[in-house]
Amino acid sequence: MIAVSEVSKVYPSQVRGGRPLVAVDTVDLTVQDGEFVTVVGPSGCGKTTLLNLLAGFEQPNRGEIRLDDRPVVRPGPERAVVFQQPSLLPWMTVKENIAFGLTLREGTRRVDQIRIASMVETMGLTGFENHRPYQLSGGMQQRVAIARALIIEPRVLLMDEPFGALDAQTRSEMQRFLLSIWGKLHPTVLFVTHDVEEAIMLADRVVVMTPRPGRIADILTVSLARPRQWDLTLSREFNEYKRKILQVLRPPEERDPVRLA
Amino acid sequence: MAYSMKAQADEDALLREESSLAEESLDLKSAQKHRHLYVSWLVAVALILLWWLVTAVHVFPPLDLPSPLHVAKDIYAISTTGYNGYSLLDNIGASTLRIAVGFFAAVILGVPIGFWMASNTIIFNAIDPVLQFLRPIPPLAYIPLMVLWFGTGQMSKFVLIFFCTIPMIIISAMSGVKSAQESRLRVAQVFGANRRQMFRYITLPSALPEIFTGMRIAIAVAWTCLVAAEMIAAQSGLGAMILTAGNQLRVGVVFVGIIFIGLIGYLMEVVIRTVERRMVPWKGKA
Ligand SMILES: Nc1ncnc2c1ncn2[C@@H]1O[C@H](COP(=O)(O)OP(=O)(O)OP(=O)(O)O)[C@@H](O)[C@H]1O
Ligand SMILES: [Mg+2]
Repeated sequence: MIAVSEVSKVYPSQVRGGRPLVAVDTVDLTVQDGEFVTVVGPSGCGKTTLLNLLAGFEQPNRGEIRLDDRPVVRPGPERAVVFQQPSLLPWMTVKENIAFGLTLREGTRRVDQIRIASMVETMGLTGFENHRPYQLSGGMQQRVAIARALIIEPRVLLMDEPFGALDAQTRSEMQRFLLSIWGKLHPTVLFVTHDVEEAIMLADRVVVMTPRPGRIADILTVSLARPRQWDLTLSREFNEYKRKILQVLRPPEERDPVRLA
Repeated sequence: MAYSMKAQADEDALLREESSLAEESLDLKSAQKHRHLYVSWLVAVALILLWWLVTAVHVFPPLDLPSPLHVAKDIYAISTTGYNGYSLLDNIGASTLRIAVGFFAAVILGVPIGFWMASNTIIFNAIDPVLQFLRPIPPLAYIPLMVLWFGTGQMSKFVLIFFCTIPMIIISAMSGVKSAQESRLRVAQVFGANRRQMFRYITLPSALPEIFTGMRIAIAVAWTCLVAAEMIAAQSGLGAMILTAGNQLRVGVVFVGIIFIGLIGYLMEVVIRTVERRMVPWKGKA
């Protein structure tokens, strides 16, 4: 279980004399084992910051983060990360990238080949084992990054807009793909996105964040049946959730019809 | 399951096809590159033709600017009977040896020093002022000191080349380390890399492209230093040959020296480029 309690992160002002920036403000959140939680919000609302805190790249100014009752103080393999920026290593092949976590853990490049082969197959990367990352399409690169995170069997999978750079069709393929993997391995997932539909499609719960300062505005439990089909986005229930989230994210001036008139 | 195996297999086949198509277009690209090599040859031939034209219409007196044919004859003469007691091959060998020893010593010492400076502020603060102080000093200024300290033998030339090239190697290694991307360092942190693994799998490969660039610049600088060194205190070597020939007004021999310095410098660049392509195939792609 992940427990985020009253966590704030403040960045000092980047210009002289400016005000410090509150990137994450008093966030409370618990994520159960095996749960799929998505975090949705506009650009700059502190999603990446929250994920960096969970990963242990940065320390909160206030509050505390615990995983299974142990405080998170540094990055570690029990909390694997799929990054927003491309982060595959171009000096390694697809196979070596996937095996990277095992290579580091076991201190040798000679790691369990059968396990890697089966991961390659699960990820639909057969035939590309010896390609370099830059020889793959964007969707395949993300699959390699996910494979690299999953192969070490982390307790938690932290994903930062992993499909943000993909076209609509590839993205929805990748969503179904991620759900099928999750159905098999059931890791705890914290998935950051700015796409409201993606957030609902994947989640058990959706955390809605708003910017300046970065706060949790609402948490919705999504009780749509699994497995979720592609046409779910057209259903009435789905759009009910979507309406609720958009209502929270709506820019403030539009909330007041008098000022519009 | 949402994601059917059949669909997956179809997609795989499609992607594999795509990738073989991509390889084809890659082949096409390299084929184009290959064709473009003619341009280099064309320019070389054009330059020689131009040179010949200038000599044919006597813009300069033949003693000041020998014709290509004359220089070709000089090349033949120096290769067979030698000049000033040394054959062309002797001179090439002597110069190349000096460059190779000085340059490799600079790489072998400079790369670790650069890495060390990048990883430790105290070391950086200790070495950087000395480095920046030495950098603007022209190599010619060192020569009297080199002769005094290391004599007129090989050692003084090795040391000079070493001093001329090592700053560039150190700086490129240092800035190479700093060019390692934050997200890649974080990947290794997540997987629990220790310092040694961090260096081996992230920092070193990240630094390689810049180190190669530094080496390519350094090898050209090494030649300019070498010629300076050989002009003061050497019997053999291409630089010494040029100086002697200049004093005896043998302009043809001067040309031979210039041409071979250029050719060997070019060859060394090509060698480094080839090694670079093999060791850093991802350069410019990620
Ligand atoms: N290292 C940093 N130093 C200073 N300010 C930072 C730093 N990292 C983030 N910020 C600021 O914190 C705020 C939240 O940034 P964050 O990257 O978490 O947003 P985000 O929700 O991930 O946005 P996006 O959807 O665009 O990725 C932004 O205003 C950003 O400028
Ligand atoms: Mg972000």
